[in-house]
Amino acid sequence: MSGLGAALQVLVSGATVGSVYALVALGLVLLYRTTRILNFAHGDIGVLGTFLAYVLLTQLDLPFGVSFALALAAAALIGALLYLVVVRPAKTETDLGLIILTLGLALALGGFDALVFGTDNKVVPTLVPDRVVRVAGAGLSVASLVTASLGVVLMLALWALLSYTRLGIAMRALAQRPDVAEALGLPVRTVLLATWGAAAVLATAAALLFAPTTLLNPSMMLDPLSKGFVAAVIGGMNSLPGAVLGGYVLGVLELVVGVYVSLEFKASFAFLVVILVLLLRPHGLLGRPDVKRV
Amino acid sequence: MSAEAPTDPPAAPPAATPSATAPVGAEAPRPVGPAPRPRRYGRQSLLYRDRYEQDLRLVRGVAGWTGLGLAALAVAVLPLVTRGYVVYNVTLFYVYALVAVSLAVLVGMTGQVSLGHAGFLAAGAYAQAALASEGLPYPLTLLAAMAVAALLGLVIGVPALRLEGPYLAIATLGFGLAVQQVLNNWSYVGASTGRFADRPVFLGVDFYGDRPYYWLVAALAALTVWAVFNLERSHVGRAFRAVRDADLAAQMSGIGLAKHKTLAFVVSAAIAGLAGALYGPLVGYLTPESFNLLLSIKFLLMVVVGGLGLLPGALVGAGFITGLEVYLSTFRAWSQLVFGLVVILVLVLEPAGLYGRWLKVRRYWKTWPM
Repeated sequence: MSGLGAALQVLVSGATVGSVYALVALGLVLLYRTTRILNFAHGDIGVLGTFLAYVLLTQLDLPFGVSFALALAAAALIGALLYLVVVRPAKTETDLGLIILTLGLALALGGFDALVFGTDNKVVPTLVPDRVVRVAGAGLSVASLVTASLGVVLMLALWALLSYTRLGIAMRALAQRPDVAEALGLPVRTVLLATWGAAAVLATAAALLFAPTTLLNPSMMLDPLSKGFVAAVIGGMNSLPGAVLGGYVLGVLELVVGVYVSLEFKASFAFLVVILVLLLRPHGLLGRPDVKRV
Repeated sequence: MSAEAPTDPPAAPPAATPSATAPVGAEAPRPVGPAPRPRRYGRQSLLYRDRYEQDLRLVRGVAGWTGLGLAALAVAVLPLVTRGYVVYNVTLFYVYALVAVSLAVLVGMTGQVSLGHAGFLAAGAYAQAALASEGLPYPLTLLAAMAVAALLGLVIGVPALRLEGPYLAIATLGFGLAVQQVLNNWSYVGASTGRFADRPVFLGVDFYGDRPYYWLVAALAALTVWAVFNLERSHVGRAFRAVRDADLAAQMSGIGLAKHKTLAFVVSAAIAGLAGALYGPLVGYLTPESFNLLLSIKFLLMVVVGGLGLLPGALVGAGFITGLEVYLSTFRAWSQLVFGLVVILVLVLEPAGLYGRWLKVRRYWKTWPM
């Protein structure tokens, strides 16, 4: 295989993994900048949605498109419900209390998945029958190309939602100045509900795209979630373009390290990148520091 | 969250309502008639303190000393009256309580979050085990374990100065995973297969049994916890809290932010390292896998569920989480779900934590019927 082909292969495979990271990071950032919650339950929400899709797909024999759409809709409801039942009633106002709340939520959701769906590994079929096409000597998997492009489509959809719809503009207003948004009469609770729902849809979409490349079990999203956090932090916790950038950069860099340096180093490499990036830019590549009032 | 002092200064008595025209900060008019509550029963007021020396005291009054004495007695005789299984789990609780206290110093006092404390625990445990097998005397292995962990605390504490909030959380999370990764690939300490950690023999005493080792851990843990309680009341502890509550104001008052934030990391890491050094011989076998992210999360849960910013809260939280885990382990499939739900429930119902709730209850009864 030529050097160009190898580079292309690394780039495409990296971008495939990167689009999952980017989707996870997008969901985390979307929620963080609106609610200040670092959501550790993000991965488990996605896994729950994926389990639902799996049940619809294998036990009710629904077609791919229908079961995925239903799973995404269910995820939106689950996200909104979690906000209403768990996050809103919680009286804790500190950032740390909210982090712990989502950690508890992650444990509970993981326990629920294990109880209802079992801890055994399940195989989720790929969206399209997988075959390999050769481009410039590199073997590229069609399924991973579809994954990468679906990820891009979802990101564009989120961008359109935030740029052109009333709801999206309200979300951005709330993220920017919550007190002013409320004073102007924005329906804060509805917007927060929608934000939780949208974040849950992003989590489930990421998990659905990730599931065929691995095996479905309750702890499936542990690694993508931590990498998604890394991507979000690299990009800057309050920047959506930063999350996408961070996801792709991390996906490609990780694969480069795995192929050219060492496979053992791959897992902890992400955190080395985080520490390096944060030392140079403490608020991420595209993030802006919170201005503190004295 | 600011730690609410258990004893607020007496509010203006209800009879004396300050007039609306009084300038802000002016003293409320003295009430006419007998002075309220203090010394009503012909003894020292339980509720309010009238001298600074009373405020500085760690253990207060007859009730305090009796309670402490009873607690010490209970800790000392517990292994004589219970089965080995209980003794082992209570020893584990002491070790976890040490980690929770170390985390209370970092998170509770200075407000810096750590999702990687299992890393410091691992460093202490591996350092102790490795040095003990090299033939170092036991007390030296403990000190060395603390030193190794403290050094790591310095390494992570200095870059942490620039980070806050979610950035610090992810960076420390990365530290915990990195420690695990290094141990997994370091053949000197057994790599992924792990290594044995033997119970110590020193001063001619063999601590092989669960009971002797229990007393050793209890003594060392009590000593450390006592030291941390004193640290909290020292000028260093006050500086820590000043850094947490208002870093700019603290800096203006001449408190070195960098110095104290780093110091908190070093102290916290050293205590966690000591806990690790005690943890290794307790479980007997160390694997990198056991110092995972979930363990770090549990330590953080202990501090918050117990009551953030309150040192006794860390102890209560450690007891609650350890006990809950041991109890739930009999339910197997249900355990994780129930564990998560209990954590959520505590946070939803009482953001000040279990110990915070106890303080509220106590204050209610002490001031009743006010």
